[in-house]
Amino acid sequence: MKVFGANELLEDVFEKNLCIGCGACTYLCPYFRSYRGKTAILFPCNLTQGRCWAYCPKVEVDLDDLSERFFGRPYEKDPLGFHRSVKISKAGRQVSEGSFQAGGTVSALMSFALSKGYISAAALTDREGLRPVPRLAQSTDDILRCSSSKYTASPTLSALNQAINEGHNQIGVVGTPCQVLAIAQMRSNPMGDKDFSDPVSLVVGLFCTWAVDFREFDAFISERIEGSRITKVDIPPPPAEIMEVYTDNGKIEIPLDEIRELVPNTCSYCTDMTAEFSDISVGVLEGRPDMNTIITRTERGEKIVDEARKEGFLILDDIGKENLEHLIWAAGNKKKRAFIKAKQEGMLNAREEGARCYLRVRPETVEEIIA
Amino acid sequence: MASMQLAQDPYNIIITGVGGQGNVMASRVLANMLVRRGFNVTIGETFGASQRGGSVMSHLRVSATSSWSPQIPRGRVDVVIALEPTEGIRVLKDYGNPQVKILSNKRAIRPVGVIAGELDYPSMEEIRGSVQELASSAWFIDATDEAVKLGNPILGNIIMIGALSGLGVLPLEREDFKEAILRSIPRDKLDINLKAYDIGRQIIKQNEDSTGN
Amino acid sequence: MSYLIDNTEGAQYLLMGNEAIARGALEAGAKVVCGYPGTPSSDIIESLAKIAKDMNIYVEWSTNEKVAMEVAAAGSFAGLRSMCVMKQNGVNVASDFLLHLAGSGTRAGMVLVSCDDPGALSSANEGESRFFARLVEIPLLEPGDFQEAKDMIKWAFELSEEIRNLVMVRSVTRMSHASGNVKFGKLPPGDVHAVFKCDGFILDPMEGAVMSLPVRYKHALQQEKIKKAGEIFEDCPFNSYHGPEKPEVLIITSSACNLYSREAIGILGVEDRVGLLKLGTTWPLPPELLKRHLSRTDKILIVEEVLPFLEENVKILAAEMAPEIGIKTFHGKNDGTIPAVGELNPDLVVGALAQIVGIDYKPVPDEYAEKAEGVPTSRAPARELTFCPGCPHRASFWSIHNALQLDGRKGFVCGDIGCYGMATLPCGFSTLKTLHAMGSGGGIASGFGKLGRLGFDQPVLAVCGDSTFFHAEVPALINAVHHNSDFTLVVLDNSGTAMTGFQPHPGLKVSAMGEDVTSVDIAEICRALGARVEIRDPFDLGETQETLNELIEDKAGLKVLILRQICALSPEKKAGKKYDMTIDDEICLGENCGCNKVCTRIFRCPGLVWDKEKMVTRVDDVICSGCGVCADICPEGAIKRKEVA
Repeated sequence: MKVFGANELLEDVFEKNLCIGCGACTYLCPYFRSYRGKTAILFPCNLTQGRCWAYCPKVEVDLDDLSERFFGRPYEKDPLGFHRSVKISKAGRQVSEGSFQAGGTVSALMSFALSKGYISAAALTDREGLRPVPRLAQSTDDILRCSSSKYTASPTLSALNQAINEGHNQIGVVGTPCQVLAIAQMRSNPMGDKDFSDPVSLVVGLFCTWAVDFREFDAFISERIEGSRITKVDIPPPPAEIMEVYTDNGKIEIPLDEIRELVPNTCSYCTDMTAEFSDISVGVLEGRPDMNTIITRTERGEKIVDEARKEGFLILDDIGKENLEHLIWAAGNKKKRAFIKAKQEGMLNAREEGARCYLRVRPETVEEIIA
Repeated sequence: MASMQLAQDPYNIIITGVGGQGNVMASRVLANMLVRRGFNVTIGETFGASQRGGSVMSHLRVSATSSWSPQIPRGRVDVVIALEPTEGIRVLKDYGNPQVKILSNKRAIRPVGVIAGELDYPSMEEIRGSVQELASSAWFIDATDEAVKLGNPILGNIIMIGALSGLGVLPLEREDFKEAILRSIPRDKLDINLKAYDIGRQIIKQNEDSTGN
Repeated sequence: MSYLIDNTEGAQYLLMGNEAIARGALEAGAKVVCGYPGTPSSDIIESLAKIAKDMNIYVEWSTNEKVAMEVAAAGSFAGLRSMCVMKQNGVNVASDFLLHLAGSGTRAGMVLVSCDDPGALSSANEGESRFFARLVEIPLLEPGDFQEAKDMIKWAFELSEEIRNLVMVRSVTRMSHASGNVKFGKLPPGDVHAVFKCDGFILDPMEGAVMSLPVRYKHALQQEKIKKAGEIFEDCPFNSYHGPEKPEVLIITSSACNLYSREAIGILGVEDRVGLLKLGTTWPLPPELLKRHLSRTDKILIVEEVLPFLEENVKILAAEMAPEIGIKTFHGKNDGTIPAVGELNPDLVVGALAQIVGIDYKPVPDEYAEKAEGVPTSRAPARELTFCPGCPHRASFWSIHNALQLDGRKGFVCGDIGCYGMATLPCGFSTLKTLHAMGSGGGIASGFGKLGRLGFDQPVLAVCGDSTFFHAEVPALINAVHHNSDFTLVVLDNSGTAMTGFQPHPGLKVSAMGEDVTSVDIAEICRALGARVEIRDPFDLGETQETLNELIEDKAGLKVLILRQICALSPEKKAGKKYDMTIDDEICLGENCGCNKVCTRIFRCPGLVWDKEKMVTRVDDVICSGCGVCADICPEGAIKRKEVA
């Protein structure tokens, strides 16, 4: 991949409002920090190559490279990305009841991996009011505390980077597709570091169609709840088309169209709904609020899911044909729209010497997706 | 009345350095030594601001007759005392002339632009080269290092005054130094200052053979 | 015992111009002296404060210049010679009272000393105070050497009593901060008894009410006074002429420019062609003296700094006298012969004069000039101003900068002069975006804080020093609270008026004279105004930044954060290092991704040096003051601090 530095990152991502605030560039150095849902650059850095650039999921992402690296084949048009299986799941009896959304699959997987020693800590996203807060969980209780959906873009990878700084080398991460993409880049040692060893032992990806900008969301909600304390936020599976905000003064419902107004433009370039570079991806299941959809992608992902089932952490079932078709349709739609937009705006496969772009992928694949 | 004929009237001295090096004190002490010998001395001090980090220059004008402008005209300095070596070069470029002599401390104080990597600091060879290009005689002295040995780097300025006395271009007497320095320091610091003065004087006396290059 | 109170008549000392002014006040028997610190004026009060008790005089660092002038005026009204001292900007602050005082008149002699700073060597502007003398119709004197700086003060007191009005003496940096030989006169006996007589006829100048009313009567009286001063000036000993009977060129000058002009004539060797009229009395100009000199020449060069004050006044006289003296050619600032801005020096005057008399002057032989030109400027790299090693401001602005960057809404800082004014530069991370008069940061922030209804959504901070807080910040804060303006004031409290040399201010428990006084608490004032107040140590970077972000997000009107840490140059701190600092070369990341020299490239403390060979940072032990803050900047923990035993 082509690696540039902070100045180019500023120009290509920050100044073009493409930053989603995933946290991948934060805490690697003294210059990038997350604050209230946004990534801030404290001081300029003049290095020509930096990890901030290399990890960023919004610039110079070479999908073929990454796919070769993790799945041994170039990137293909499959709307779900490379995968070994798609099933439905929920937390098993070994997982204490949390306030998790849907089936609790993610909490179950992380609790299992931690209890078995597959990971020593998990980089997760907690919430303070509406504000997503990255957390490094080192116990099952910590994991369950972070269980609910956030719907806001979140700098989860700050917690990952801080964990690496602290010397952790067996880390589990739960992230959205953009975060999982950043992790994939990080794990492929883009800077060619001689002493590199992959510190990430499990990546659980979350399905995502979009996330809202925290600061705008906060202002939007604050106006409507007048000082009440938020206890939970939920978007029930389609066709509900509402967001439910639970507060200590009761529940309010907001039409999703109003919420979509708060989605940053950068999400419209995202080609990935199901976190295609994870070990395991998890999302909601249409029509079944008690269950999740679960996609296994890697060998180690498959192994963990299997063991978790055997040890009572996870309950698995087959996915219905209609559900699978709908999932493929939704993911394909997102991918196609994003590729068309990126292509129209000249953000794919820049060729000139020294030119930089958003995504690199074989042009044939792009044409197949767009067709 | 002035007790010794000056080589020039006024005889012009520039003490230059960086804020925090005791430049102002050095100029006062030197001037008071000369006032005790019956001279009129005018001191002008130039600094960008009183903080550390900026260049600080004192202009001393020694005359048998009157006060002079507190700023020395271009090309008219007779001897330069550089508490910091590159500051000596800066002064020579503006005030030097073919006869000028310079006493330079060797200890560098890097400007913040150098610390930040935006500018380069010249090597000692480059500094020597430029100084010798512009001065008729030059002496390089480890004043700060000697002062650190005495326990306080600030004494570098006194070592430089001692060195100037060793040149013999001005009627600088140890007794006058003693009286003049006591206007600036408590009596219990007198001995260490006298020691610094003597060290400076010795450095010049020991190297008398190698002067003028 | 200070040499300043040596009562040996004829004793000779090397005095700074400001010390000469102080000695002049002593020889005049001044009993009340006050001012507000400001370079280049501060040493006057400082040297008098040290001997105030010995000499039985009252010396005060007042809250601001207007108050200083009022306190000094009380002395005059009570029959005591009194003096107030300030830099040029201070006269602006005092000017409201100044106008009233010039109208009411004074009793015992009263002198205002204003120290201007041509070239703004330590100022934020090139203020010109001489116009105030013309504006408020009081006499103006300008000393032309160090001896005069002393003698003129005494003479000014006598003049003030002669005309019963304030007399202004204007010095400049090159006079106040330069030193020269000064011969002492006698000190007067010190017995006085202060009393304010106010029971007489209301218009009685010595026993009535002191006021500028009735205006017509008092204004006419004031103009008689200034006219009388003009008459006295005709024979003033501080006006002198040197040169031929009928000079080809007449230089008219005053102040330090007198020394430059004298030297320029000598350098060019034109003593027989050029005359030098040096004026000590520059407002009002003595008309007969001017007529005498103007009539003997055709070309006039006026040498002065800042604004063409002398030039304009001489031209007015010359225009009025034209039928008698003929038409003259004037050179000076207006025609560009003398630079319009910046301070002068002998070389600039040589250049101006050489042009008029037609001499081609070269300071050094061409060959040498070429050699000097040939030495690259890189051999003496530029020295940008920076905060001192260990300066609390560097830490404060680090946190302010980071808090604003994290916030991300393009917040900024409004401020004023003081060391922290350097936060406009990289040493303060270029955080300060407006810089004006003392206290203006708060006033401007108060304005920005009300623009929300007009679409403004940037966070606003203001900074001021502790001394500035008392000087001029409080009215701005009252304005902000009253109008519910939303901003955060950061008080950079370093326990003294640090920039000018640690003069005490109302927040401290000791006065200029070293007496115990009541301290006024900044936090209590702010709380009393209704502001949310937090106090932090700026050396605790994390807590300071967190507090700042919290305050910036708090929309509850005025918030005040007091950052308390003593100035690194304070005698207390200079006494010893708190920490010994070292670098672990093994850990230092240097230029690598993950650091890229944050300590030397960004934090830029002069105590840290980038070692190009080893590619690591080093501590310069001679310069490092051991504050320990850089250890918290280092992302890898390579900078170690160890408490000094």
